Amino acid sequence: MRQKIIIVPCSGIGKSYGTVTREAAYVVTEDLCPERTRLVPLALLVLGGDEACSALGGAKAIALDGCKLSCAAKVVAESGGAVAHAIQVPEVFRRHRDLKPSGIAALDENGLRLARVLAQEVKELVDSMTGEVCHA
Amino acid sequence: MAGQILQVTIDKFTFLVPTSLVYSDAGVWVELESNRARLGLSDFAQQSSGDAAFANMKPVGTKLERGDEIADIETVKVNVSVPSPVKGAIVEINPSLADAPELINQDPYGKGWLAVVELSDWESDRTQLLNAPAYLALVKDQAEAEMKK
Amino acid sequence: MPELPKRKVGIIACSGEEIPEGTVARLAALKVLQSMRAKETVTLCLPLFLAGGEGDRAFARFHPTIAVDGCEKQCAARGTEMYSGKPAASIVINHGACANSSPLGTARRLTQAGMQVVSDVADQIARHVDELLDLKWDRRAGARADSPTAQAESEARQAPCSCGSGVPVTTLHVAGRKAALVALPLIFAQFREAGKLPDDSTKAELMQAVKIYNPVPDADEEAYAQAVLQEYSVFCQRSH
Repeated sequence: MRQKIIIVPCSGIGKSYGTVTREAAYVVTEDLCPERTRLVPLALLVLGGDEACSALGGAKAIALDGCKLSCAAKVVAESGGAVAHAIQVPEVFRRHRDLKPSGIAALDENGLRLARVLAQEVKELVDSMTGEVCHA
Repeated sequence: MAGQILQVTIDKFTFLVPTSLVYSDAGVWVELESNRARLGLSDFAQQSSGDAAFANMKPVGTKLERGDEIADIETVKVNVSVPSPVKGAIVEINPSLADAPELINQDPYGKGWLAVVELSDWESDRTQLLNAPAYLALVKDQAEAEMKK
Repeated sequence: MPELPKRKVGIIACSGEEIPEGTVARLAALKVLQSMRAKETVTLCLPLFLAGGEGDRAFARFHPTIAVDGCEKQCAARGTEMYSGKPAASIVINHGACANSSPLGTARRLTQAGMQVVSDVADQIARHVDELLDLKWDRRAGARADSPTAQAESEARQAPCSCGSGVPVTTLHVAGRKAALVALPLIFAQFREAGKLPDDSTKAELMQAVKIYNPVPDADEEAYAQAVLQEYSVFCQRSH
């Protein structure tokens, strides 16, 4: 079976952008590319033991970070994973200025739309990495 | 940047205040360079504002009274209007901020500088500015008030 | 007179994305942080904590924390203990934290029953916050000061090297290795204002103050005392 691409969102709890990464990860792994991707929680890479780290082994990962601190990208790299792409939500927001998100517990409409935009960008990366187009 | 760096910690946040600069009570630092002043946002101001997404600078040549806007910084939390602490004219704006506004957050006292102003009334301006210990005390009060909200 | 930090409670939630209990943990923590006990609590971001956030780690060394986890892996609790200190309280959602037996929903979308569990867990967290703020907290032991655990000799905890963010953390070279000590500048400022000289007459009192906020192994106490005294001497010279 072909190895899935690992999606690791930071899910930071301090800013809306963190929730955007979380929501985008769900959109990718449940809606857009469920056959090609798998969500692995960041904390499990550090503390979860063999199962999470073995999911990384040999697989490529896309890290979704809510800010420049890049916690997801760092942890994936430090856990021995190959970060194929690291996306920071502020950069996506800069390209979609009309979608200023708010809310951490629950994203507002702009936040949900920004998450879908991010998810679409991730889908396109997945398509290019696999050479195939994900069909939702 | 030479000199000591004062700091105050409120909860998990530490705010740095270099002693080599002076500050407006709006959180704009001033570094005197002969008859010019380099301006930027203090560490407390940038942390309070949030991650900068866009930095919209007034253009070179803009004449300023004290209090006039030199920049409008859009973060995910707020739009911050940055008031000039000095009177004069903008002679330089930070070209890096167009593509990398995050420098305001990552290096507020260094690469995140905002503008350079040619001064026209420094003797009056300086009386309105705070030295580092005085600004530190203000930051402490403002930060504690912010945490109580 | 400079003040040492006021006590607050840090809340760190797992936010685990794979199971609904992780979402419950996240939302319950946010409910307490944003509304129920907003002035008494501080958000500790678990990903930042694990990735090296010194501000969050330093806060958690100094203040009591509540870990909220969605499963028995207890990433929030274990992560806190690994990098700072044992949480003062630890809630695990699927270990009887809630009595509701209705399905919670999915990790992505909780049901109404799931949201009720969020409220229940938030209430639990808030009660812990109230208890902790009423109690004398022994940071070194990671326990109430009147509990048996607090009487036991605490181990020195390895603190990662810091950049000085968060609660002020100073790295000294002690007994051939680096030791990160919190609150030194604040302690030094108090001693300086009290006119205490940086010499042997002050050493014991200085170490007493340092040990309130930092674990110091008995075997290395003299080495720590020398290093701290030297640092205090430098501080006094800079303050002139």
